[in-house]
Amino acid sequence: MSVDGERREPFELQAMRVAARAVEGVGTARSRVRTVRARTGFPWTAPTAPRGVEVQAKKGRTGADFETEWARTPVARAGRALLVEGPMRAMVSMAADPERVGQDRLADLRSARHPGPVIFAANHHSHVDAPLMITSIPEPWRHKLVVAGAADYFFTTRVTGALSALVLGAIPLDRSRVNRRSADLAASLINEGWSLLIFPEGGRSPDGWGQPFRGGAAFLSVRTGAPVVPVHLDGTGTILGKGMKRPKPGVTKVTFGTPLVPTADDDARTFAERIELAVTALADEATSDWWSARQRAAAGTSPPLTGPEGSSWRRAWALADHRARGKAGQRRRQQRAWPKLD
Amino acid sequence: MKALRIERKPVRFAAAYVAGSVTPGKGATWGPLRLADVEGPTLPGRDWVRIRPRLAGICGSDLSTVDGHASRYFEPIVSFPFTPGHEVVADTDDGGRVVLEPVLGCVARNVVPVCAACARGDLGGCERLAFGDLSPGLQSGFCCDTGGGWSTAMVAHPSQLHAVPDDFSDEAAVMVEPTACALHGALRAAVRPCALVVVLGSGTLGLLTIAALRHVTAAGTIVAVAKHPEQRRWALALGADHVADPGQEARLVRRLSGSLAYGNQLTGGADSVIDCVGSEESLAQSLAMVRPRGTVTVVGMPASVRLNLTTLWHRETELRGAYAYGTEHLVDGTSRRTFDLAFELVRAADLGRLVSAHYPLRDHRQAIEHAATAGRRGAVKVVFDLRQEKERNR
Amino acid sequence: MPRPGFVLDVDRSTPPILFWRGEGFSLEKLPAGRTRVIYPAEALPALKDVDGSIRDALLHPIDSDPLPALLFPGMKLTIAFDDVSLPLPKMRRPDIRQRVIEAVLDLAADAGVDDVHLIAALALHRRMTEAELRHAVGDRVYDAFAPRGLLYNHDAEDPDGMTVLGQTPQGEDVVMNSRAAESDLLVYVNINLVAMDGGWKSTATGLTNYQSLRHHHNVATMRASRSFMDQHRSELHSSNWRMGAVIKANGPRVFQIETTLNNDTFPKPFEFLAKREWEWTGRDRGLFLGASKALNRFPARRARELFAGIESPHQMTSVQAGEVEAVHRVTTEHVYRQQLVAVEGQTDIVTLGIPYICPYNVNSIMNPILVMCTGLGYFFNMYRGKPLVREGGVLIMTHPTPWEFHPVHHPSYIDFFEQVLADTTDPLEIEAKYEKSFAEDEWYRHLYRTSYAYHGVHPFYMWYWGSHALQHLGRVIVVGGDPRAVRRLGFHPASTMDDAFEIASDVVGRHPTITHLHTPPLLMADVS
Repeated sequence: MSVDGERREPFELQAMRVAARAVEGVGTARSRVRTVRARTGFPWTAPTAPRGVEVQAKKGRTGADFETEWARTPVARAGRALLVEGPMRAMVSMAADPERVGQDRLADLRSARHPGPVIFAANHHSHVDAPLMITSIPEPWRHKLVVAGAADYFFTTRVTGALSALVLGAIPLDRSRVNRRSADLAASLINEGWSLLIFPEGGRSPDGWGQPFRGGAAFLSVRTGAPVVPVHLDGTGTILGKGMKRPKPGVTKVTFGTPLVPTADDDARTFAERIELAVTALADEATSDWWSARQRAAAGTSPPLTGPEGSSWRRAWALADHRARGKAGQRRRQQRAWPKLD
Repeated sequence: MKALRIERKPVRFAAAYVAGSVTPGKGATWGPLRLADVEGPTLPGRDWVRIRPRLAGICGSDLSTVDGHASRYFEPIVSFPFTPGHEVVADTDDGGRVVLEPVLGCVARNVVPVCAACARGDLGGCERLAFGDLSPGLQSGFCCDTGGGWSTAMVAHPSQLHAVPDDFSDEAAVMVEPTACALHGALRAAVRPCALVVVLGSGTLGLLTIAALRHVTAAGTIVAVAKHPEQRRWALALGADHVADPGQEARLVRRLSGSLAYGNQLTGGADSVIDCVGSEESLAQSLAMVRPRGTVTVVGMPASVRLNLTTLWHRETELRGAYAYGTEHLVDGTSRRTFDLAFELVRAADLGRLVSAHYPLRDHRQAIEHAATAGRRGAVKVVFDLRQEKERNR
Repeated sequence: MPRPGFVLDVDRSTPPILFWRGEGFSLEKLPAGRTRVIYPAEALPALKDVDGSIRDALLHPIDSDPLPALLFPGMKLTIAFDDVSLPLPKMRRPDIRQRVIEAVLDLAADAGVDDVHLIAALALHRRMTEAELRHAVGDRVYDAFAPRGLLYNHDAEDPDGMTVLGQTPQGEDVVMNSRAAESDLLVYVNINLVAMDGGWKSTATGLTNYQSLRHHHNVATMRASRSFMDQHRSELHSSNWRMGAVIKANGPRVFQIETTLNNDTFPKPFEFLAKREWEWTGRDRGLFLGASKALNRFPARRARELFAGIESPHQMTSVQAGEVEAVHRVTTEHVYRQQLVAVEGQTDIVTLGIPYICPYNVNSIMNPILVMCTGLGYFFNMYRGKPLVREGGVLIMTHPTPWEFHPVHHPSYIDFFEQVLADTTDPLEIEAKYEKSFAEDEWYRHLYRTSYAYHGVHPFYMWYWGSHALQHLGRVIVVGGDPRAVRRLGFHPASTMDDAFEIASDVVGRHPTITHLHTPPLLMADVS
């Protein structure tokens, strides 16, 4: 009870402040406001701490502890569904022009009598990735989906946290350390029938090449038994890659892979390797064709997602080549804008 | 005497055109054709004789005149008022039976010396059609001086008359003139041995052409195009190997000729196409079906048509007409008059069978409507029967 | 537990029975007391783990080494698969062929096989379009193989593409697609929709040409196949099996993969088409009324488009792989398990509703020749033992039978209908007089090879397919058919079912016994 009380009190104060600001906005005479304030003070304003007492750190309400349950209420879900099918789909198709292949590999999961939750694990290049995935994931999973978002990125402030939770259905996931709370939350949501979209690389690629996969998706799958669908996203890096300020419309391809289920002798680590291999093979498939990719996968010669080893310039050099083979190489030609000379 | 006459009345022609367009044969009711009691024609020359028609056929060209559809091309070579009827078997005053060869050449016109075509015996190609002692008129039945078969009496030049053998029925004899036309067409087509020949149209002319092709040429496969079941039976009976419904002939010809196709145009096609219809559609179809350097022979009378002749140029197709008759030069080197051949063919193929209805003059409207819708009503040749007319025996 | 098929005796309380009429349907009241209706069994349960079952079949084949043991680096591997004529209607993506082919290729990749060709085994059928191939094998396989020319349609008229493998003791030529014939392993991926499919017919018929087909696609064979759906009493199959022996001796090693489907034919909300009429709900009745009224108003083209869009929820009930004959024995069991319905004795009349589709008009038009083939070829022969109708009896089918042909798919059908049937409808006479000229026509050959046309000789096979029925039946009546087209087929047109019974009465008397085959979904009558 006391914990609850503690948590609610500052919120009320905050509400008061908002109300006060509103009063200020419509307020008539400045002086009058001033008098009111002068007359009232605390509790109308925040208390100042007496010196000599140790001020306790505020209980965190952002980051991994951000509360997102409200974003899964029916009302919020309905609102999100409208956002996803309307503006988000329009923006994705405008900015990313996606080609979506491989959904047929999910046919068996879908045709089951009660399709269960699924963990979608995709590589990560860009902020476009999440909306692109949300609009690409087929029914019945699309509208009962949560997205694992970096607790230290999306949930640092209440505003970005709330927006992420509402629009993307994001839940905070701690990527810097193993956090019981965020892992428990994700697992319990999966057990309740929510599907999860997760980017196992743990963040957008810094240089256009992939990063090693972390164990989160595998861990959750082993723990809940939900199948993992590997997904490869191609071409998003050049649309809104890390470091880009403005999106540049381009062409993308979403390739869904065959669902993976952990076997009896899989642990989170070996299963994570399998997921990474599957996405690697999908990347190869997306840039060549299924059969060649399959042959290379069988021979263990699929080009790694993380790019060639070596100095950074050589990696950058190889990246251009790599992009030219994929969808990013087919960027829509933009009309050249000549400066007006008059 | 009683005669059906056509007079020069533009309003009547216009009415016939409208009525005939709505219902074929209705031109007989609204048009310039009238049954009249008139003076018999006077003999226009010394040698001329009077003949009394027994049967007179209704021909396609007669129908188009009655329905006001005939080309204005004919205006200078007919003379009004005229009595139609050029397929005639008649009695002479000396008791013989004759068939009329109606073309009015130099001899009948008393043109001396005769033109080059008449000298060769190619009566149909006479170059003095509108000149000489007679009024203009390409045949008896289109000339005001000769009268025509649709009456109880007319006049003829002895050179126009062919005696009818006794074993010929009147029906067989009346078929001789159209048979001669068909024979001429079949021979004009210069069909090579074993050739694939298509005959468009299975009216009287089409059927007779099929018979002619079978008897006087070495045509290999004859394809007929027939709309009505009765026509289909006749075509097969007279020698066609295949009969196609209209619209299906191109596919049949493609298969028989083993050709390929681009668009509607066959790459190969029939060696020879004989068009007994003469319409815009039939001519276009003919050009699309004939093989490169093949021949299209137009036997049915066409009027003004719009035609794309690119294939004529590209495939070097020959397009030739075939009118009337005269003297035929056969493959074996001999020359015969078309009418002589026609008598033989009528006998050999028993073409008298094709006469399917007789009408007295007074029922001329029904007769002409019947003739205009003959195919649909299962008829081939409709004739006026004058043998019972009272005036004839006066 | 799905209910088995059964035979209903029509009484006065029986509701009118559903009859298909091409792109439409009607309800017909059948006489009480002397009519029976044969209903198909309900859909058998599908395999739970499709991909797992396929893999299991490949790893544990019947009378054969496991597939991985047959694959080695440097080998020539050819995968042939059934064409667009199967299954009907087309199944929802992913098609079974795609799943099987991907599973085979997975193993081939693991074994390091490089030289792979995929061939649509369509014999003399029309070539499959890109969209159809994509539907059958999936986009992944298509995109991987087709651009490099490794996925293509069989071409029976390729002068350099066919190899003669030998002759059977009966003197039947055995000819096979050269690529398949020269392969180290030929994997055949089959969908066994009816009991006629599969076995040696897959390879001996699907990958061959006219020279070989004429030995069993002819009137004598079809008349001796009683029925061609029962392989033990089918001369068609005996001939194919003889050819199979030659393939075994002189041809490539064949690894046959056969699959069977259940009866789940119509997607929501049209499942009522497969239901028993007295179990129709209010919703079903509403849908029937709405659909049949709307379809009557639709232009034929729109109705066809609508029906061509139907993707059926067919599910796989079995998959088996290995040696051809052993595999096919198991497959046939599975087909029978779904389709066989025991029926006692024959009747004077059999009635059929002809649906909008048959194996040869997928995305096309059901022309009159195909109506004949569907009724007298396929449905009539859906029996084991004896035909449902007695010898000299009457067959009544309902179909609009328009005089209409798909000009691209069926050019030789047009000529067959206009030229051959106008002359005669006697199969023997047709065979003797016309078959050769159609089979060797260069234009048909050109269209078959480069366009999407059935081979020139194909309409003849359609007619032969019905030749056993033509011989057996006393009269054939088409209810609601275009009279001109129906007469051209040599049948009797009738405007209503009552008229049809009236017309039939000259042959079978005033009180004939009647059987209605309530199909699709498909069923096979086991007549004793």
